[in-house]
Amino acid sequence: MDDLLTDFIAETREMLEASEGEIIAWESDPSDRARLDTIFRFVHTVKGNCGFFDFPRLAGLSHAAEDALADCRSGRREADSALVTAVLAIIDRIAQMVDAIEADEDFAQDGDDALIAALEPGAEELSTGDAPIVSDESQSQETPAAHPAAHPPASALLDGSDEAKRPDNTPAPQRSIRLPVDLLDRVMSGVSDMVLARNDLAHRLRQAGTQPTIDGPFERLTTILADVRDAITRMRMQRIETLFSALPRLVRDLSADLGKQVMVDLEGGDVELDREMIETIRDPITHLIRNAIDHGMETPSNRLAMGKREIGIMAISARQSGNTISIVVSDDGAGIEPGRILDKAIAMGLVQETQRSQLSREDILQLIFEPGFSTADEVSSVSGRGVGLDVVRQNLERVGGSIKVTSTQDVGTMFTLQVPLTLSIIAGLTVEAGEQRFAIPQSYVEEIIHASSKALDFAQMGETALVTFRGNRVPCLMLTDVLDLEQGDLVQGQHTMVMLRLASGDLFALAVDRIHSHGDVVVKPLAPAVMKSGFYAGSTLLDDGQPILLLDMTNIAAEYGLVSDARSRTLQSLEETQDEAEQDTCRAMVFTDFNGRRRAVRLELVKRIETAPRSVIDLSASTPRAVIDGLILPLIGLPDGPVPSEKVRLLRLNDGSSELLYAVRDVDDATELDTALKPVADDPLIEGVTLLNGQTIDVMNGYELFARFGETPEAAEKPVCRLPDTEWARTILSPLVKSAGYTVANSADKTEDVAIWFDDEYEAAVAMDVAFDKPVIRLRDLPDASDSAETIYRYDGEGLVNALRQVRSAGGRGS
Amino acid sequence: MNDLLVMAQIAGRRCALPAHDVSSVIEVGAVTPVPRAPDFIAGITAMRSQALTVIDCRCALGFDPDNWPRDHRAIVVKVENYSYALRVDTIEDITTSAGEASQVPGGFGREWSRASTGMVETKDGPALLLDLPQLISGPEALAGAA
Repeated sequence: MDDLLTDFIAETREMLEASEGEIIAWESDPSDRARLDTIFRFVHTVKGNCGFFDFPRLAGLSHAAEDALADCRSGRREADSALVTAVLAIIDRIAQMVDAIEADEDFAQDGDDALIAALEPGAEELSTGDAPIVSDESQSQETPAAHPAAHPPASALLDGSDEAKRPDNTPAPQRSIRLPVDLLDRVMSGVSDMVLARNDLAHRLRQAGTQPTIDGPFERLTTILADVRDAITRMRMQRIETLFSALPRLVRDLSADLGKQVMVDLEGGDVELDREMIETIRDPITHLIRNAIDHGMETPSNRLAMGKREIGIMAISARQSGNTISIVVSDDGAGIEPGRILDKAIAMGLVQETQRSQLSREDILQLIFEPGFSTADEVSSVSGRGVGLDVVRQNLERVGGSIKVTSTQDVGTMFTLQVPLTLSIIAGLTVEAGEQRFAIPQSYVEEIIHASSKALDFAQMGETALVTFRGNRVPCLMLTDVLDLEQGDLVQGQHTMVMLRLASGDLFALAVDRIHSHGDVVVKPLAPAVMKSGFYAGSTLLDDGQPILLLDMTNIAAEYGLVSDARSRTLQSLEETQDEAEQDTCRAMVFTDFNGRRRAVRLELVKRIETAPRSVIDLSASTPRAVIDGLILPLIGLPDGPVPSEKVRLLRLNDGSSELLYAVRDVDDATELDTALKPVADDPLIEGVTLLNGQTIDVMNGYELFARFGETPEAAEKPVCRLPDTEWARTILSPLVKSAGYTVANSADKTEDVAIWFDDEYEAAVAMDVAFDKPVIRLRDLPDASDSAETIYRYDGEGLVNALRQVRSAGGRGS
Repeated sequence: MNDLLVMAQIAGRRCALPAHDVSSVIEVGAVTPVPRAPDFIAGITAMRSQALTVIDCRCALGFDPDNWPRDHRAIVVKVENYSYALRVDTIEDITTSAGEASQVPGGFGREWSRASTGMVETKDGPALLLDLPQLISGPEALAGAA
């Protein structure tokens, strides 16, 4: 949190410095719209940042100033010198508060109200007469530089020398210096050169044979170089996590403020990018989230009425592709209504009435990035002044990035931010196609599948190839076709499929000849003429110094129309889940049981296929059991008699709560059952018979299986036994209890499944009316039972174990 | 004006490049082709840890490179922060210019006029002074500019 605070202070200072000139210029001409916008953005940003921290006074001041300025922007109010003065006084106060926050001092409580009151349209009298702070302020404007550091609230901002003095009296927590990025780049490329030179040297040394006098120092050089390289890399890079980590809190606070329920879903936190870039996108993302929660998300009751889940989902994901990083901020809220955008745009004069019909839905949506645009009917303290999005776009365009919005009404809104990343190190996959190697950013890679595996089910539909991936038909591109390369020596169906998922959520397969390696690659920018081809995101060097091209998967996918912009990601994931559900209903695991019959069980029941040694199988009880992962699970499917082989294949079936093991002779494959099931009357364990490759196959009835044999693993877990609190029980009794399959209760365990009591203590407890809700095993001190009471001699090991077993099986049945 | 110039033969003609823009002359190692890129981009190659875009100047001017020999070296130039390796017929020498670039009546022919700023007199005789940004943007961009 301290880092964030330092950032906040540094950022506010920077903005103060930057807007210094604007403020003076605005004062000389209060009607200057551009200046007004700049100052407005400043207070808006301060207000926004205060949301991160708990600075109610800062937030109050900036909100008040923002209100007044918003009135000016919308033309409801004329900016006069009194207003300018009052706003400037507030900005000065913000500067002082920031100083106080940094120094961790308390700031004088009084004066805020006067400053805020001075903003009121009719408050001229007050501002010049009653509030000394403000009158002081107006004087200070005339001689800004003349004020010393310890002056009253007003002129802090305009007094540049003031800034410079501050570091003297505030202790710096961490020493840091600012460096030009150019210098960093030079150092980085120098180190990269050094690494290559080292590789070259290593190669030559290997050729020359072992030379102990050289090898030692060379090893050292290698280690040092690796360290330096690491440090240099870290100088620039930061995980986007540092930005993400603040978001859940922001979302939580915002949604609580607004009476909404929002869950945040972050993805791609390990994407690394320039520190600089993180700073650049911090504000835009914050703005987008604010907007989404304020405008996009419906209240829980509205959501329920719409048939959505009560809790909205705010998903933020980051992907990296060469020197572009795309961040998708999506929500499953109400979406944007193009009609309202258009009405508003026409009212604002951004669009002519006559253009109404010419604009596409896409174009209309992009209008929300125009300055001063807002469709919110009410202005809330969170957003809704139409300042956010134009600032967002401006910030991104300044660094050569872009932003796009897609939205489906009642389904959600998705903002896609693209920011460049000219120099970065990413995890990359090196593939080969047509004798040439290419790199693919690892972040896109979902899975790698060899096309020869049956599951892919390659199909050629017209010009498009399709493969089946997890039950879905997915478009497939041949890299050799995409790049117009010579077909390799591989025949169709021998390719390796790289399953790629784009930031938009779209999935497709890329067929390559083979996979080479994966590892970190340093991405270098490509010349514009090469970038223009649209297929590459950068280049990188292989270990031997040979350059290879990094593929721009987003662009390639777009080129082939594989990106669905109009659909929001939220909607898509919903569909996918549905698809999966539908698909899975007819997928089954085919196996051969110990009677040699081919059977199938629905795939979603199969949790895992276990191979268990004979020793874990216990045939002594009425139902066979086996211990898997420390759980005792019921086992069916074994033939009568001893366990037939040293190792047994077990299908571990799970219905969500209960588990069950099914012993099989052989597991065939997962397959799709496409013919209808014919019910079978005579065997309740068989749901029906169906055809698979011309043969009949029994499909197991999951319901009956679990109804008859299923047990919850909790019940099969080791039950807890509470022992008497004596040394004897701890040292002598507890090993026996443990070997009987129990866990010994410790003081933290509130309940137990069985308790062992010494008989005399038990009787004393009974006499005191202690209630025993769990079974109790009573131990007596003497070998011979003195009476008919159900006690066990304390050294009767067999009797004890039997008693414990009985309790366990009774407990197991009971639950 | 006495500027240093790097002299080279391109498509059988003598050309000059301002030495100020030339960072080095390198031996061309392995060139990785760039599929689907315009023809004049021969590929990318590495100079130490840097990746260079290899431009065949003959192609970039709109000639067929197979008609001329090719130097095993390339001229490395930096244009707008990107480095390019220029492949030419032969790299000749470094010389000084003996005056400003000037136009000749009737021009230098369609291909040459686009990519050169004019004729420049040198100690070794006249040469065409190349306009690097124009040259590396390739024949299509040149055609668009003309």
